[in-house]
Amino acid sequence: MPSTEDKSPRYRSRITEVSLDQTAPKMSMPARLDDTEWDVEEQQGISLKAVTLMLGVLAVVAFMVFDAIEAIVTRFSAFPVSSTILGLLMGGFVVALLTLIVREWLGFRAVAACIETPLNFATLADMESAGEVTQIIDRHANRFGKGSYAARCYKQYQQMLTDDMTPKDITSLYEHTVAVPVTAKAEEIVKKEAVVSGSLTFISPNHLIQTLAISWISFRTIRRVARVFGLRPGTAGSWRLFKVLAQNLAAQSLFDMATDELANQIGGSLAAKIVENSAEAVAAGALNVRLGRTLIKLLR
Amino acid sequence: MKRIFQNILSPVVSGMEAAGGWFTKEVHRFTITGLSRSGKTMLFTSLMTILKYRSEGKHQCLPLLRYLPMELVESLRMEPLEGFEMFPLEDHLSALERGQWPRSTEMVCGFKAIIRLRQTHKIKKHLLPYTDVVLEFIDYPGEWITDLPMIDKTYAQWSDSCLAQQMSPPQKYYAAEWHRTLLNFNFDREPTLMVAQELVWNYRNYLKRAKQDGIAMLQPGSFLLNCSGFDWGEDGFTPLPTDISSDESHPWTALFTKHFIAFQENWLKPLRETTFRESDKQIILVDLFEGLNHSKSHVMQQKETLSHLADVFAYGQKHWFKETFFRKRSIRRVAFVATKADNAPRVYRSDLYSLLQDVASSAVTKLAKNRIAHDYFLLTSIHLTDLGSTKKAVRYTSVDGDYREARFDSLPPFITFIMDEDNYPVLRAAVPDDYLPRILSGVGMDKLFQYLLED
Repeated sequence: MPSTEDKSPRYRSRITEVSLDQTAPKMSMPARLDDTEWDVEEQQGISLKAVTLMLGVLAVVAFMVFDAIEAIVTRFSAFPVSSTILGLLMGGFVVALLTLIVREWLGFRAVAACIETPLNFATLADMESAGEVTQIIDRHANRFGKGSYAARCYKQYQQMLTDDMTPKDITSLYEHTVAVPVTAKAEEIVKKEAVVSGSLTFISPNHLIQTLAISWISFRTIRRVARVFGLRPGTAGSWRLFKVLAQNLAAQSLFDMATDELANQIGGSLAAKIVENSAEAVAAGALNVRLGRTLIKLLR
Repeated sequence: MKRIFQNILSPVVSGMEAAGGWFTKEVHRFTITGLSRSGKTMLFTSLMTILKYRSEGKHQCLPLLRYLPMELVESLRMEPLEGFEMFPLEDHLSALERGQWPRSTEMVCGFKAIIRLRQTHKIKKHLLPYTDVVLEFIDYPGEWITDLPMIDKTYAQWSDSCLAQQMSPPQKYYAAEWHRTLLNFNFDREPTLMVAQELVWNYRNYLKRAKQDGIAMLQPGSFLLNCSGFDWGEDGFTPLPTDISSDESHPWTALFTKHFIAFQENWLKPLRETTFRESDKQIILVDLFEGLNHSKSHVMQQKETLSHLADVFAYGQKHWFKETFFRKRSIRRVAFVATKADNAPRVYRSDLYSLLQDVASSAVTKLAKNRIAHDYFLLTSIHLTDLGSTKKAVRYTSVDGDYREARFDSLPPFITFIMDEDNYPVLRAAVPDDYLPRILSGVGMDKLFQYLLED
């Protein structure tokens, strides 16, 4: 038996401990999942458009009153108070209108920026610094409009984000809490819109109404999908989207001609009409899906 | 009309649901392997708590666990595992509430978490609306794990290697008294039961003292537990000096060899065949800080233990026929997990990860022969530390109630980087008052289970 040392092990500690004159901060419970249904039409407060319209109506009414007063009193009287009110109303109207124009422009720019600089998840996951990845994602998410589905998902992503996550974890978390659900929601909306588009086409009595219906649904699809992605393409919209929309309308017109010819060949029976309308409805739905998919591809 | 359809369809749907259970139930059995004090019990406590709060309270925990998406979780049930005592979650949570750490496991127990997920597939969701994901876990004392490598050794081999280990730090210090007993012991005396018990008692005292100071690599670990299925009082054994253990005809060697074989046959082998064999995924927990708390050689011993463990478990690829008809499973995915990762400042986590890879390297070489998938994870079952004043520091509330800052000089990324005289004392943290949010903020469990479940 070799001899054994009785000395206790002596080490050089590589950790220095210092007592602090404070207590540990309290940690709060993780946030809860927001599982309420997101409504695409949900509006928070009065929109700027409504305010502008109201101001416009008010201004018109005020001018009418002013005219009435002017007519009742005299043309020569001075109307300082009324003039001030009218001036303020007009001023508000002009300012709101200008703001609306600026926001439309910013929305248009945001769509263009989103299309031109999409997030590349593979590149993000390979980055070295977690902070840099977070910054890029935050910059991207800055474009999300308040109350949009993307903003809601992004909020959940932020609640789940922890300091320990690597660039790969952050990218994966963003992808699965924001990118994937947002795309799924957009696809769900596109499908619904396609059904509406097809139904309206089916019941449209003539081609003019049909074209108007398709145009309306197409615009609505653009607006709704853009709302999911948290972007405002603006009333002026993005040219790339409108190009697809124009192609859709052209394709629908060609399809109309083809189905007319088919109906002529079959004869003027009710069956022929149903066949024609059904084919047009399917085509309208498919074209609407195409529009939606292109939009998703652009905004994703 | 709708009612008539419902009446016709309801028996069909309920029948489909019953049959569907067979098709839509996924069972995953996990073996969580770790030495004593590696954090197994706390991992189970945290896991059960997190799953409960995630499912019932809709708290945003485990964000990277995409296999069980939060929005699809319909319900969660915890049930005992057939043939095992139920894991005492309530007792452990009560202990935490009282400011005490949960007692370490002394008896094997298990539980299964049945997570019901809503179907999203258009057709399936009407026919088989739910999928049940069953996660089965078994918790057993870490001391049993330490003993498993003894299965394939002879008594003489074990005795020699055990003594050799006791001659190196940190065991050297704790074994001093035991070695004196061995030196002074008269082996010419007849090995009666009483004399043998006296020797075993002395040896056990060394084991107990070393364990108290955080040494995990102690064999036989089962001697430290009164409720293990082996009577160490009647059939105990100790290592013997090499000159005696090498002589098979020596009465003491003969007696201890007999007891050693009984230990292998009556305790270790049934244990391996029953408790440890029936799993398809393995989580190997390592508390690297326990190793770093002592010395480089203790970290080396951790590496050696992991290497031995890789010989004990049954590894292999998925075999549907064997699993379905013979209920034979083999581990096909292994996760090496460094626990208590929040003890390291964030800047040193990559070094901790690297050290984990180094410690697991011998075991990985063995797994690679069977082409077993493996990965490494850093885990925090309960977030005990806060950010320090610098990037190299963490803050925690010590068992004395002080709020302290621990400033690290460094953390070795490889065993070879550890200087012989250096150590990294374990941060002895108290149970925080806000233990529940700190459990729910645990880190790494989502990535770990995502990896194991996505198989």
